[in-house]
Amino acid sequence: MGLKTLEKITAALTSRPAELEQLRKQGKKIVGWLAYNIPEEIIYALGLIPIRVGQGGDGRLVEVGARHISTKNCVFVRQVLGQFAEKTDPYIKQLDLVAIDATCIQLYRLEELINFYFDYKTVVLGVPRNFATKEGHEYFRKEVEHFTKKLELFAGVSLEQSKLQEAINIYDGIREAIKTLYSYQSKDNAPLSWRDVSAVINAGYNLDRLRYLELLQELIKEVEEKTSEPQENQAIEARVFLSGSLIPPGDTKLIDIIEQLGGRIVGDDLWSGLNFFLNLEIKEPTPFGVADAYLDRIPHASLPYLDLPTDGRLANLKHQIQQFNADGVIYHTLRYCDAFTFKAGETKDVLKNVPFLEIHTEYSGSDFEAIRTRVEAFVEMIKNKKEIAELV
Amino acid sequence: MPNSKLFKYPEEIKDKFISTKGLKFKNGTTVSSAEIWEFMTEEAPRRFPYAFDANANNIGRFSDDVHFLSGIKRAYLTLTFKDRLLKEHAAGTPTVLVQGGQAMDAYYAAGAIPVRPGLVMQWAQSMEEGLNLRQSETRGINILESGRRKISIDACNQISAHAAIDNKVVPIDLIAPFLCLRCSDMAFLVETHRNREHDIPRYMVDYPVDHENKPWAAEYIEVELKELITKIAALSGRKITDEVIFDEIRLENRGRKIANEIAELWWNAENPPINSTDFFAIAFLANDFLGDPVASVDLLEQSKQEIEERVKNNVKGYGVPDDAKRLYICGSCVGPNAHHAETAGAVFVGRDDNWSCISVLVEEEGNPYLNIAKSMLEYPYEQRTEKRAEWTAEQVRRSRASGVIFMYQWGCNYQSGVARMISDIIREKTGVPTTFVEVGELGRSEATEQSTNRVEAFIEMV
Repeated sequence: MGLKTLEKITAALTSRPAELEQLRKQGKKIVGWLAYNIPEEIIYALGLIPIRVGQGGDGRLVEVGARHISTKNCVFVRQVLGQFAEKTDPYIKQLDLVAIDATCIQLYRLEELINFYFDYKTVVLGVPRNFATKEGHEYFRKEVEHFTKKLELFAGVSLEQSKLQEAINIYDGIREAIKTLYSYQSKDNAPLSWRDVSAVINAGYNLDRLRYLELLQELIKEVEEKTSEPQENQAIEARVFLSGSLIPPGDTKLIDIIEQLGGRIVGDDLWSGLNFFLNLEIKEPTPFGVADAYLDRIPHASLPYLDLPTDGRLANLKHQIQQFNADGVIYHTLRYCDAFTFKAGETKDVLKNVPFLEIHTEYSGSDFEAIRTRVEAFVEMIKNKKEIAELV
Repeated sequence: MPNSKLFKYPEEIKDKFISTKGLKFKNGTTVSSAEIWEFMTEEAPRRFPYAFDANANNIGRFSDDVHFLSGIKRAYLTLTFKDRLLKEHAAGTPTVLVQGGQAMDAYYAAGAIPVRPGLVMQWAQSMEEGLNLRQSETRGINILESGRRKISIDACNQISAHAAIDNKVVPIDLIAPFLCLRCSDMAFLVETHRNREHDIPRYMVDYPVDHENKPWAAEYIEVELKELITKIAALSGRKITDEVIFDEIRLENRGRKIANEIAELWWNAENPPINSTDFFAIAFLANDFLGDPVASVDLLEQSKQEIEERVKNNVKGYGVPDDAKRLYICGSCVGPNAHHAETAGAVFVGRDDNWSCISVLVEEEGNPYLNIAKSMLEYPYEQRTEKRAEWTAEQVRRSRASGVIFMYQWGCNYQSGVARMISDIIREKTGVPTTFVEVGELGRSEATEQSTNRVEAFIEMV
């Protein structure tokens, strides 16, 4: 389905670096951010321009980054470090400040390195590992308050409640729109592919948020106008759910393989994907209100949780698999991304009878064929199972 | 690796040894030096032959300096660790898996024995007796690999400890470590226990990063420490008052102070009075206390007396080469082989990990929970990397080091991540050459040539 709004998003993205250059000339400041719990609403409400940075899939940049870190750090961290080392990325070279939250401690290390080696101003937001406790909440409230004060100093303005409420409204709108786009994946004749939705999400991290919200609403309208009724006798498809380590912009290896082999990605619980937009409800336009909402959303795997039956991340995973009517899970883990890698076996145990394939990989192409063979067998197995079920 | 000959303490030192003080233990008993001698020369070689293997690759090899008699007593504490733990455990003392390199005051005060992953692993290996070095290491590797099979090949060697607990090789009653910047695997490995058959209770004391000038970080740890101590006390049955905790703090502070005094003595001596193995053991003992802080502090006091005597008489520790190149070691869990380094002409003058733990005393008045929290947050090793490196550079200057080796274990994401940055800062601040080495041999004596070569080449360059 050719969607004009997708073309508009692509065009907006193309012109965005030049637009940012102009805005900087006018005195606007750009805050690049990484990780999972940075409250963008606060950055936006202070009149700063938030840009989510970090790409994947480039083995050369991984090597550049590895000169300053080690091969025992995950490839995403290494590549981002490589991007900061080279400063050729149109966004990274324009950053006035980099904000990183300590959900993933490897990213915290990254913050130290870009500050030390590449002279970027940085700010860190501490995140409690005991995130579900009262004391964890108390700690995080103080951290967000402190983070806000640092940003206020940087921006030269104080946070106004009305501006924060405006920002919250915009971000709520974005979250709702993304959820709507994802909801199409549960249908047989989805008007957008998962890859399209992923591209839309990634574009959003760089675009002006208000403009982005308008584009999302336009996209939804266009999609709904063009949506057709499901066709009968559709070919049997392997509906694949993606879980595990993040799949950032630029890292298309696994996605390409799944799609080339006839699998259809229908959903994910990635922190670079849908999870980021779920269950975030800011009840009070204050730093404390923002802190509580961020900590209470679906937890990131980097934050350990000791009680399996009440783990919100796994409960969400099970729910999403059902929601998207998925046939199997491909659990993608990046080498040395311990947060997700160490949970692979457990996730398989928890999902019991859901077909499950773990792909442990890096950004190099050397394992392409090995992954291809495994995914091919997985997709075939799912399709065969469905065919047999239809015959029976 | 063939079975090499076994090391034996020479009979000619026996009389002198047994005329020294014995060791006092926390249960009020004293073990005489004669009993220690008998254990170390008769019982232990029979039960734990691997510990006496004279192979230079044996990373756990005892010190060659048999005239440093406190060193023999320290080896006694190490080799009786298993018996003491099992005995106390049978009597109701809870054993707790903890993080290494953190304050142990809260655990001991609450009536538990904290056991760090490295010691859990040693304990697990020693549960089968009569093994030679190769057999003992094979046993260790089997436990390690059983853990990696369950969890991930990306896990560092610490997974051995968790596998030993899972497989019920050793009895652990509570899994309750501090989470901190030194270790990337601990949090996730603790979490894996939620999907196991055992029902060992779990708790984590979070340790916030980037905590400088943030009083709420210490307040957060304070609340967690109360929870930790309540959990341990429920197992130990001990009534915990502030005074009980302060008693423990005072005892452990004494150990830390003595270790610092020894370091100063050693650094300022014309000749290093004890060798690398003995010297490193001092700081370790003053942080870990090997299951018995009373015995450990007693031993630290005896060690100090012996070292003072040696410094006074300008005695050089056995094994320390003439004009030794002075190396400062950085990084967690793993370090270069002291015997190889000394053979190559170097001596170790300090280690950021262990020295960080003993460099901060806990306040002895006020709120004991908050005091412990504050002291832990002051550990130089747990600061932002730039600050940690500056502290380490100062250590390098004070110890008159002529080279720095940062070593980290395969699978360690956090130390590896800053190895270069710390090395660069130290070199810039001190002008001393630095290097960083990744190794994969923790707990192994075989196939260590690569790292030995790199360390020896660095020593040669220095």
